[in-house]
Amino acid sequence: MKKKLSMKWIPWLMILPVLLIRGFTTIYPIFTTLWNSFFNIKILRGSSEFYGLQNYIDLFKDEKFITSIQFTFIFVAFSMVFHVILGVILALVMNMKFWGRRFLRTIVLIPWAMPAVVAGMAAKWAFNNDYGIINDFIRRFFHEFQLNWLVNTGTARISVIAMDLWKDLPFFAILVLSGLQFISGDIYEAARVDGANQIQQFFRITLPLIFKNVVTLCIPFTLWRLTTFDLVYSMTSGGPGEDTALIAYRITTEAFTNLNVGYASAMAIMLFLVMAVFSAVNIKVSNRVRTE
Amino acid sequence: MKKKLISILLSTVLTAGMLTGCGSKSSSENETTATDTASTTEVTENASGAGGEYDLTLYSINTTDPDFDAWLTNVEEATGLKINAIAAPTDSDTRQQKITTMLSTQDKSVDIMEVNDEMATAFKNSGWLEPLNDTVMTEDIVNHFATGYVSDMITAEDGSIIGVPGYAGYLALWVNQEIMDEVGMDSIDNLDDFKQYIQSATKDGRYGYGGSWEKTYVFNEIAEFVNLFGGDYYDWSNEGNREALQFMYDMVNTWKVTPIDQIADKYEQMNQKFIDGKYGCVFYWGTGSEYAAADMLGTDKIHQIAIPTFQKSSIFTDSWSYVMNSASEHKDAAVKFLQYMASEGGMQASWDNFDRYPARSDVAEKIVPDDSAVKEMYTTYATKSEVRGRPMLPQTMEFISDMGTIFQDYMQDKITLDQFCEKAQAYVEECQ
Repeated sequence: MKKKLSMKWIPWLMILPVLLIRGFTTIYPIFTTLWNSFFNIKILRGSSEFYGLQNYIDLFKDEKFITSIQFTFIFVAFSMVFHVILGVILALVMNMKFWGRRFLRTIVLIPWAMPAVVAGMAAKWAFNNDYGIINDFIRRFFHEFQLNWLVNTGTARISVIAMDLWKDLPFFAILVLSGLQFISGDIYEAARVDGANQIQQFFRITLPLIFKNVVTLCIPFTLWRLTTFDLVYSMTSGGPGEDTALIAYRITTEAFTNLNVGYASAMAIMLFLVMAVFSAVNIKVSNRVRTE
Repeated sequence: MKKKLISILLSTVLTAGMLTGCGSKSSSENETTATDTASTTEVTENASGAGGEYDLTLYSINTTDPDFDAWLTNVEEATGLKINAIAAPTDSDTRQQKITTMLSTQDKSVDIMEVNDEMATAFKNSGWLEPLNDTVMTEDIVNHFATGYVSDMITAEDGSIIGVPGYAGYLALWVNQEIMDEVGMDSIDNLDDFKQYIQSATKDGRYGYGGSWEKTYVFNEIAEFVNLFGGDYYDWSNEGNREALQFMYDMVNTWKVTPIDQIADKYEQMNQKFIDGKYGCVFYWGTGSEYAAADMLGTDKIHQIAIPTFQKSSIFTDSWSYVMNSASEHKDAAVKFLQYMASEGGMQASWDNFDRYPARSDVAEKIVPDDSAVKEMYTTYATKSEVRGRPMLPQTMEFISDMGTIFQDYMQDKITLDQFCEKAQAYVEECQ
């Protein structure tokens, strides 16, 4: 017993370097951000005054922040719903046996490998009414079609969500595909012998068996959506107006462009809390799904 | 026991390795600072300096110019300095964020930066920039620059001059002469001419007026129209401001002579459309190098014209100024560089390589040929229009972005003119 106890410090020693790095790069910034959120910091004047909870109170009176919350919610919800639906469909397609499957599996990851800023800048042109590839394609079928996607609130938001899907959906699909490949062919064969058609096989075999996998994937993918910044930054600059300004984009703008560090810190803490709660709930749900 | 020993040994090695890694950086800090700063693929080492020590580091917006290397060679030869040039981001927001971060953290890795009017206004009272009154912008030199510009944009509250203007630029009115000929107009002298031109030029998918109305870019045009209508950008109860905004609204919504689509456009989109003949006229900075590159610059193609008189004829001037980081550890070299940039030789190098019109009037008179169309126009602006610096407030980017946001809302009928003016006045007060 004594010998066992004396060994306990070894794992801690082993992970000490990681703990130190994490402490410095994650824990310390979180507490610094929390501290800053109670101050009214004016970088240009070099002044900082204690502000109490005023930054947090101001948040809920700020129309721009409220718009950001609304769009962030829309963005995360729609993007994740389509990630799941289209991701599973794409994974099923890539799991089928057909000529060119390897090629499809290879090229499908290209958008994911592209830096979001590059994709955003390309998208700014792609959705342009005069020069964009999107309208050029649509005009092949509807010759009089005219629409500048990034000008109206609704279409700009659709464009941002569409670009996000274009970029990250393939990665989601590849991860679902890895789950699909663990399903034994024998199960399908037995189902076919029992007279199950393709649709029944999907709903009775495939979907239940990849469900846990998909739920688990939804945690990081949702968190990534919540912190999406670069796509909006390079594609719409949060416009038209502030209608596509995601919370992460607003935080960056307040902190580094407007230099309202205290206010931006309050926003960051709010986002942190949302993410922490979401992660806790999600982990609990996933654990329950896993044990069922 | 053996496992335990191995574990301890490995942990020790790992920790020691990390600490050694941390420690070794400081010993080689001098050699690596320049590249550390530009770790996001922004380093552009000049050919002559690669692999060697540098006398100073320049954070430049011109590194993508094809003639940048020639310019750098000229400066290095003239000053005897070995310069490490780092490319500043081309996106205005990103650039400002990077420079703000470097200056506010007293980052020593960059000695000289190029800042625009927005940044100069924001930083000039911060203490982050070295005063140049005694070393570079001495009385005999500063008198050759546009006095109003120097005092408005690059002079701090305590009288310190913090920059050397790299050129003189104007927010000029550019027209497409082919469209002018098509609609049968010889000149645009006043408001009626302007309206007639933009209305008659609008047809078949072409618009008489084109703009760059992305929320951080449209500020220039709003302020220009406010000036033309005799308004005051800091006073939104001024009738001239309302007229200007109503005019811009009518251009989009009533006369439909400019597209609402341009609220997504920055200068690159606007210029592409202008070059492609989709716009009759635009307000734009510079000497037309973008149009020249597309073979569209000329008196029979795209060219700048005198600013028409609405309530008055008014034009904005701007510049990018070279400034010295007050945390710089190479101040002697930086002063040498700045002295050259403020001299005839430095301005000649910028004119020859970047088509930047000299900021010093005496140098412009001397080195720009008399038959230059740019010189002719710039002389016209200086003599026939009211030349002003752009209206800036200390919280510059916030002000610009907020004004752009409500402008887009107004153009899209999301708010009324009264609401726009009310919000604009609130932003003026908030961003002081």
